[in-house]
Amino acid sequence: MGIKTCVSLYSLQYEFMHKRMSLEDIFRFLADDGVQGIEILPDQSMHRTPHPSQETLREWDRLVEKYGITPACADVFLNTNLYENRRLTQRECVELLIAEIKLANRLGFKLIRLVSMVPGFVIEPLIPYCEQYDVAIALEIHAGMSFDTPATQDFIEEMRRVGSPYCGLVVDCGIFFRKLPRVMGDYCVALGGNLELVKYVENLFDKGWDGWNIYTPGTHEYKPEFKALIKNGTDHMFAALCNGYENKPVTIMDEYWKYIKHFHFKIFEMVDGEEYSCNTREILQYLHDKGYDGYISTEYEGNRWTLPGKPTVEKEQVLLHQAMLRRYIAEIEGVG
Amino acid sequence: MFDNNVFIKDSCRNYSEDGRYAGFELATNITYYRAIPLSMINDIRVYLDGTECERAAIRCSADKIDWFTLDEMKTVTTYKWEYDEPLYIRVLKDGGLTTGSHKVKLTVITRTAYIPVPIEGSMEHTVLIG
Repeated sequence: MGIKTCVSLYSLQYEFMHKRMSLEDIFRFLADDGVQGIEILPDQSMHRTPHPSQETLREWDRLVEKYGITPACADVFLNTNLYENRRLTQRECVELLIAEIKLANRLGFKLIRLVSMVPGFVIEPLIPYCEQYDVAIALEIHAGMSFDTPATQDFIEEMRRVGSPYCGLVVDCGIFFRKLPRVMGDYCVALGGNLELVKYVENLFDKGWDGWNIYTPGTHEYKPEFKALIKNGTDHMFAALCNGYENKPVTIMDEYWKYIKHFHFKIFEMVDGEEYSCNTREILQYLHDKGYDGYISTEYEGNRWTLPGKPTVEKEQVLLHQAMLRRYIAEIEGVG
Repeated sequence: MFDNNVFIKDSCRNYSEDGRYAGFELATNITYYRAIPLSMINDIRVYLDGTECERAAIRCSADKIDWFTLDEMKTVTTYKWEYDEPLYIRVLKDGGLTTGSHKVKLTVITRTAYIPVPIEGSMEHTVLIG
């Protein structure tokens, strides 16, 4: 019972891509740190998904058995744009996701996180498969595409209508950022971006707002004073990614609570034992007060803002974040 | 954001067919954090000493066994560009790269599942042909 720790292998993507860590190295790394659950992107950790080889499946079984870490969540993507000239039909989408449900079941996962923008029309046809394979599907609520985004609201409306315990939501805590990630601003400035543009957005957070406030309300047009600070390509990239960090109150979860099945604790930078942007303790207190019984995943994303020429620090950041989670959980639960 | 994934350093060299150089090849990691079917590669562009190579001269392979043109790749869903494996790219060029130093730039554009704009990454390396 209670809040259990987990790490998403998204956090270690460059260690894995560059073959500095094998899947077994990662399992060992997590087990040595006492991490309770593991979250994977099957498309990242295994070849030929959703139909990996028998050899790949046997190796997964061996690692789960040897290291005693619980498969907590499989992050599944729906390639609605598999072809350039059309979107997949409803039946094509459902077929792809049925294969993912079967794979998740085979790997020992009871939860699939569906990436943002998955259409709600997949829910009803998938529920019989979710029931048969005992795998729930849950849409990711991610900054930039969170509760107030029309596609997300459409999914939520359909989720409520269908009303199955096998369909819910995964909350990415990037919607609870109180500051702009420092590493993002530093990266853009290092590439020649305009410091004043970064400061403009930092100032929005200082006022209790977030990356959405660069737009004229009700539009996707930049506010004139913000637009005037955009000087080059790096500034355009920075501007386009600003709404990927939201500053919502944790109480926004109240009305969705019964549907929430899992959490991503998005991290960009650990500073003096705290995540720089996220109000982690406040969220954990909320979860505890609500009686949350499930996993919370470290999802380190600062790797994408590694300064040119600098090494990524994925393992270090994961360990620091896990230590912080354990410290807060012990404090909040009154043990240790 | 994914520029550093593009164009693996020291991967560019001439390749031979029937005893002579038929072009040059290079390898790249993916501009994404997961595998995608080859049909989701939006475009591959190669620039040699500042000039873009002809699109029709480009071939791609996920395994160095089966090669596809960029137009063919639009419908290739049975082969995946795996996350932890490179994509191999060849540019047909009779005789290959000439001896000496060349600036080779690669641009990789992939479609993701949920971001409306394809992700683009670019990297240039200086290539020495001995």
